[in-house]
Amino acid sequence: MGKRKQIQTALTHVALILLSVVFALPLLWMLSTSLKPISETLTTPPKWIPTEVMWSNYPDAINYNSKQLGYIPFLVYMRNTVVVTILCIVGSVTSNALVAYSFSRLRWAGRDAFFGLTVATMMIPFPVLMVPTFTLFRYLGWVGSFKPLWVPAFFASAFSIFLLRQFFRTIPMELSEAAKLDGCSEFRIFTDVIVPLAKPALMVVALFTFMGSWNDFLGPLIYLVDQNTFTLALGLSAYQTQHGGTPWNLLMAATLLVILPILIVFFFAQKLFIQGIATSGFK
Amino acid sequence: MGIFGLAATLVVGAVVTGERVISRQDRTDRVTVIYWEKWTGSEGEEMRKVVNAFNESQDRIFVKYLSISGIDSKTRLAIAGGNPPDVAGIWGDQVVQFADANALTDLTELANNKGLDEDYYIPAYWDGYVYKDKVWALPSTPAAIALHARPDLLPPEVATPETFPKTFEALDALVEKISVQGPNGSLKLAGFLPSNPGWWNWAWGYYFGGQLITDDKVTIDTPENLRAFRWIAKYTKKFGSKEVQSFQGGFGNFASPQDPFMSGKVAAEQNGVWKANYINVYKPGLEWFAVPMPYPADRPDLKGRSNLSQDVLCIPRGAKHVKEAFEFLSFVQKQDVMEGLCSAHGKNSPLAKVSEKFFDTHPNKYIRLFDQLARSPGAFNIPKVGVFPQISNEMNVAFQEVNSEQKTPERALADAQQRAEIIWSTYRKQVLAQ
Amino acid sequence: MKKDLRIGLLFALPWILGFIIFLAYPVLASLYYSFTNFSILREPSYVGADNYAELASDTVFHKALINTLIYAVGAVPLSTVVAIGLAMLLNTKVKGMSYYRTIFFLPSLVPMVALGTLFLWIFNGDYGLLNEGIRAANLEPPNWLGDPAWSKSTLMLISMWGCGQAMVIYLAGLQNVPVSLYEAADLDGAKLGKKIWNVTLPMLSPVILFNVVMGIIGALQVFAVPYVMFPGGAPARSTYFIASYLFDNAFQYQRMGYASAVGWVMFIITLVLTLLALKISDRHVHYETE
Repeated sequence: MGKRKQIQTALTHVALILLSVVFALPLLWMLSTSLKPISETLTTPPKWIPTEVMWSNYPDAINYNSKQLGYIPFLVYMRNTVVVTILCIVGSVTSNALVAYSFSRLRWAGRDAFFGLTVATMMIPFPVLMVPTFTLFRYLGWVGSFKPLWVPAFFASAFSIFLLRQFFRTIPMELSEAAKLDGCSEFRIFTDVIVPLAKPALMVVALFTFMGSWNDFLGPLIYLVDQNTFTLALGLSAYQTQHGGTPWNLLMAATLLVILPILIVFFFAQKLFIQGIATSGFK
Repeated sequence: MGIFGLAATLVVGAVVTGERVISRQDRTDRVTVIYWEKWTGSEGEEMRKVVNAFNESQDRIFVKYLSISGIDSKTRLAIAGGNPPDVAGIWGDQVVQFADANALTDLTELANNKGLDEDYYIPAYWDGYVYKDKVWALPSTPAAIALHARPDLLPPEVATPETFPKTFEALDALVEKISVQGPNGSLKLAGFLPSNPGWWNWAWGYYFGGQLITDDKVTIDTPENLRAFRWIAKYTKKFGSKEVQSFQGGFGNFASPQDPFMSGKVAAEQNGVWKANYINVYKPGLEWFAVPMPYPADRPDLKGRSNLSQDVLCIPRGAKHVKEAFEFLSFVQKQDVMEGLCSAHGKNSPLAKVSEKFFDTHPNKYIRLFDQLARSPGAFNIPKVGVFPQISNEMNVAFQEVNSEQKTPERALADAQQRAEIIWSTYRKQVLAQ
Repeated sequence: MKKDLRIGLLFALPWILGFIIFLAYPVLASLYYSFTNFSILREPSYVGADNYAELASDTVFHKALINTLIYAVGAVPLSTVVAIGLAMLLNTKVKGMSYYRTIFFLPSLVPMVALGTLFLWIFNGDYGLLNEGIRAANLEPPNWLGDPAWSKSTLMLISMWGCGQAMVIYLAGLQNVPVSLYEAADLDGAKLGKKIWNVTLPMLSPVILFNVVMGIIGALQVFAVPYVMFPGGAPARSTYFIASYLFDNAFQYQRMGYASAVGWVMFIITLVLTLLALKISDRHVHYETE
C-alpha cells in the first residue's frame, strides 16, 4: 500500500509541476518581454533572458508623453479605474447584502418564487441587454461619464445575491430571534448580527466585484469617450496605434502593472476566498 | 459604524473625483471648439501642433484636441445623443455612410465662400468629399498606394524603377524566378504576395478593370474581378495556402523589423505612401524604391492605377459652433499648414497646388511618384455607397476564403455578390428611402 | 403578514429596482427594437418581422451561429475536464498547494485585452512561442491565427487556460465530499478510477451542473478575446460569433433593430440549451438534500 501511495503522490507532483509550467508560461513570457529592449521582442527563436534588462520599460510605460507612444496617461487610467472600482465594490457589497438578507432571513409572500426568477435571470445573455441599456444611459445623458459603469452596482446582481443568500442561510435563526427578543429592528439585526458573521462571504463578493470592475473592457468601450476618462483595461488598447507600431515590451510592462493589484489582493485573500465559496454551499 | 463611515466617505470622494474628470473645462474668453481625432502617438502629436498653431494665431476660438478610439462609432453615438464634437476626424471611407445617416453638417456654402472647391484640390481627392452634390468633409491627410520594391533582392536587370516589371504578367514571371522556398515549403523569399499587407482586398478587382458598384448595382461577380481573384488564387497555389496565410495575422508585424518587406521575406509589396516612415524608423538605410502598381498586359488603359484613402475632418450635425469649427477646418486647408501636416505624417498633399519645398523636404523620397499617382486619371476611391464597410468586409472574407483555398474564386465572388446585393437592397429600402 | 411583506420588499428594494430598470425594461425594449429598424440617429420605425425573416436567410448569421455552437461544444467540455482535473490534483493536499492554486488561478485574473494581445503573440505562426516549441519537438506546427481550420481551436485553448475560477469552485465542492464515503469505498477495495467515478463525481455533480450551465452561457456570449485577436472574425469569418455579429450590427452598421433580433435569438438558444442541460442532469445529478 505504501508504495502505491508513494507513486500516486509522485505522479501528482509531476502532473502539478507540468501543468503549472503550462499555466505560468504565458505570464512568465509576459514578464520576460516586459524587460526586453524592443529589438528583442520578436526574435526567432524566442529569447527568454534579455541581453539588457530594461527596468526602464516600466517607468517608460507609465510615462505620459514618451516619443514613441505619445500621450498615454497610465496613471490617469489608474485613477479612473480606482474610482469606478471603489464605487462598484461599495455599491455591490451593500446592495447585495441587503437583498440577500431579504431572501434568506425574512419571510414574505412570493419570496421563493422571486428568488427563482432572480436565478433564472443569470441566463439572459448580456448582448440582449446591451442596446437598450445603452439607449437608456444615452437618454439620461450619462454616456461619456463613469456613471453607467458604477451606478448599476448599487442595484445588486443575481450572482452575488445567490452567493450571499446561500451563506446567510447557514447562520442559525436563533441568533436573529435572540436579537429580536432584545428589541432590535430588522435593520439592527442585519448590521449587528449578520454582517459581522458574513465577513468571508462579503469578502468574496467584494473580490469578484473588484476583479470584474478592474478588468471590465466592454463597459468602458461602449460608454467612455474621452481618452482621459479611460480605465486601465480599455487604456491598454491605446498602446496599439492605428497603422501599426505596437511596442510589445512596453505593452507587456503596462499589462503586468494592471494585473499587479489583483494579484496582490488575491494572494493575500486566497484562504478567505476559498472559505467564502466553500461555506456558501453550492447544494 | 466605522466601516460605514469609511464607505460613505469613499463613495462621496469617488463620485466627486469621477465627475470632475468628466466635466469639460470651458473657457470663458473664447469659443471652445471640441475636436475629436483618431490619432495617437506621433501622428497625434503632429496634429496637436497644428491645433496649437491655430489657437495661437487668433484669440476668438480655442480648439480642444481629444484623442478618441473607435472614433466613428463614438461620433455617431454622440450625434444621436445630441452632444457631438464640433469637429470629428473620421476616415474618408465613411463620409457617404455618415451623410446618408444625416449625421453631418453640409459644408458646401462655407467651403465655397472660402474658395475651397474642386479647383483647389486634386480631383480624385476632391471626389471623396462630395456626395449628392454637397460637400461633407475636408481633408486632413490623404494617401496613395504604390508598389514598393527592394533592389537588393532583385536580379540587376529589374532592380530599378525604370526596369521593374510593369505588368502583372511580368511581375508574376519575376516572382516565379526569384522566390525561394525551403525544403519543408516554408517561404524564405516571396517575390510578391497579394496577402501582404492585405489591407485593400476590395481594390484588387479595380486593378484588373473591375468595379464593385456600377450605376447603383452590385457588380462583384464580373469577369474582371474574377480575373483578379484567379490571379490571387494562383499565388496560393504556387506557395501553398499555409505559407501564404502565415503572412496574415501579422498584428504589429508591420511596424517592426519583422515586417515582411523590411526583413526581406518579400521583395515587393503593395503599400501606402506612409511606408517610408516605418522604413525610416525600423530599418533606416534600407534600399528601396516605389513604382506604380502593375496592370494587365492586355489593358494598358489601366496603367497608373492607385487606390486612394484619406483622413478627413467633418462637422457633425448638431455641433454647437459650426462657424468657428469651419474656421479651424479652413486653417488646416491653408497650403503651408496642410503641407506641413501631410509631410510630418509622410502622406500626400490633397491640394492642386504644391510647393517644391513639400517635395524636397518630404520624408518619403518617392513622394513625387505618389503625388503623380494621386493626380493620374487612374486614381480611384471606394465606391460611394453607405454600405461600403459591409461590402469591404465581404471582399475581405472572399479574399481570405480564396487565400486559404476554402472556396474557388468563382464561388467566393458569387457568394460575395449575393451577400452584397442583399445588404445593398436592404440598405436602400431601410435607409435611403427615408 | 403585511408587515413582513413590507420589510421584505424594503430590503430587497435595490434588486427590485435593478431588476426593473436593468433587466425587465431592457429585455422588453430589445424585444420591441427587434421588430423595428433602429439606426440610433433616427427614431425606431416598425418593420414587423422583417428582421427575423432576414436572419433566417442571413448566411453570415448562420455562420456566426455555427461558429458559436462549435466553440461551445469544444470549450465547455475542455474547460470542465481541465478544471475538475486540476481541482482533484490540488485536493490531494500536496506540499505547496497554495502556490499551485495561485498559479492556476492567475490567468483568469488577466484582463481580456491583455489576454488577447498576449496570445496573438504566443500563437503567432512564425515567431510565436507555441510554434517554436512544437518545431523544437520536430513536429509541423499549424498556423493558429491564419488558418480558418485552427482559429477556433486557438480560442478553445485560451478558454481552457482561463478556467481558474471554475477550478476554485470545484475545489470548494471537493472539500465538501464526506471522507466517510471514500473510506467506505476503500473498504470495498475500490481503486482510484472507481472512487472517482462512483464517489467524487456524483458528489460533485451539483457543482458540475452549475459550472457547466454558467460555462454554456458564457461560451455562447464569447466576444472580448475574439474581438481583440481576430478583427472581423478573420480569417474568413472562422472566428465570427453571434455576439460579434450583434456588436457589429449595433455599433458599426447602425442596425440596432437587427442587432436586437440577433440578441433575442441568442437568448432563446441559451434558454433551450440550459433547459436541456437541466433536463439531462435530472437523471445524473445527485443531491444530498432534496
